[in-house]
Amino acid sequence: MPLILEIVTPEARVYSDTVDSVVVPTLTGEIGILPGHIPLLTQVVSGELRLMKDGKENILVVGKGFAQIESDKVSILAEHAINEEKIDEKAVEQALNRAQTELTASAHLDPAEQELLHELVRFAGIQLELKRRKH
Amino acid sequence: MASTRDIRRRIKSVKNTRQITKAMELVAASKMKKAQQAALAGRPYIQVMSEMLAALSSRVTELKHPFLDERVVKTRGILLVTSDKGLCGPLNANLFKVVTEIKTPAKFFAIGRKGAQFLARTHRDLVADFVVQDRTPFSEVKVAVELMVQKYLAGEIDTVEVIYPRFRNTLVQEATLRPVLPLTSLSTFISQAQSDAGIDVQRDTRDMIFEPSATEVMEALIPFYINKHIYQLVLSARASEHSARMVAMKTAKDNANKLVGELSLEYNKARQAAITQEILEIAAAQFAA
Repeated sequence: MPLILEIVTPEARVYSDTVDSVVVPTLTGEIGILPGHIPLLTQVVSGELRLMKDGKENILVVGKGFAQIESDKVSILAEHAINEEKIDEKAVEQALNRAQTELTASAHLDPAEQELLHELVRFAGIQLELKRRKH
Repeated sequence: MASTRDIRRRIKSVKNTRQITKAMELVAASKMKKAQQAALAGRPYIQVMSEMLAALSSRVTELKHPFLDERVVKTRGILLVTSDKGLCGPLNANLFKVVTEIKTPAKFFAIGRKGAQFLARTHRDLVADFVVQDRTPFSEVKVAVELMVQKYLAGEIDTVEVIYPRFRNTLVQEATLRPVLPLTSLSTFISQAQSDAGIDVQRDTRDMIFEPSATEVMEALIPFYINKHIYQLVLSARASEHSARMVAMKTAKDNANKLVGELSLEYNKARQAAITQEILEIAAAQFAA
């Protein structure tokens, strides 16, 4: 029986399909999930989420959030998520620059806002790294 | 019978009103589209998050968290989410009806100027009101949530509830009272919602693992959930507001069109009567001569 993988962000349901296996970046390191996995609730950190479907590997970049595994259903709750194919390097670079200038320009931002920007920077960084490694 | 000049003046004024309501309808329609999209897109996220929280709270009974404690409710804390501006049909009035039905002691918080005005006018205990811009930034809603959570933790209020217009579709918005804190009723609420939606959930009976630990996951998940949940409710309220306004303005425009038609008819009749009268008078004068 295959796994059901569901990735949702505040903006949209990014992925919802059956997969053979999935590797999720979590606070305690990457975990690989296969069907029959024990129920688990853990925190996701920004990184690469790799999934195998029909012998093909697909990579998604996810932001921080939570993951739950129950009855062969993997639900990932992330701030951001983007499929590797949809990463637009130029747009990411611009977003990264914007976030960084905002961070340096306004030191009086409240901590939550700052954390949000840092998270955005991390998310953008991982996307770029992945793109460059592939080329 | 009104003189032709009076009728002409009325037609002109109705036409002016129609122009304004038409413009407002168009503005509301474009805002509505964005607001509805935002409200609908956020729903699965909240749903999955509540499922996680339900799994967490049903499995870990020995954990203590102030948000999971059920206490004796002395003072309710209620957040009233309304629009800043009027001209949106019965939207706010329906919310106020829900408020007036609350007879137990309660402290109120408001998002939206209309709600704050109502609470002040009816001499209810309004603790604070917040202004949230139309594009609904998360940071502005968070301020309101944080204050309520702070009061809840300090024991000044014993529940956190939200009254808001729930967005069903463009034509239907329901004034809803939604309990948020404490979270005790969450798992029953979710299983209720799931059976309503016809989802058959297979429960995994094996023990759940929490990484790094149940406490840490909970500490991270619960505050996050409260913020996001109330934010989602505000988004829903915004979608309702713009929908209600668009519908109200469309009705106003249609009514103005009808009124112009009726008045034009009346005007033409009056004009015709005047001409007939004049001809009669001339003819009569000629006969006399």
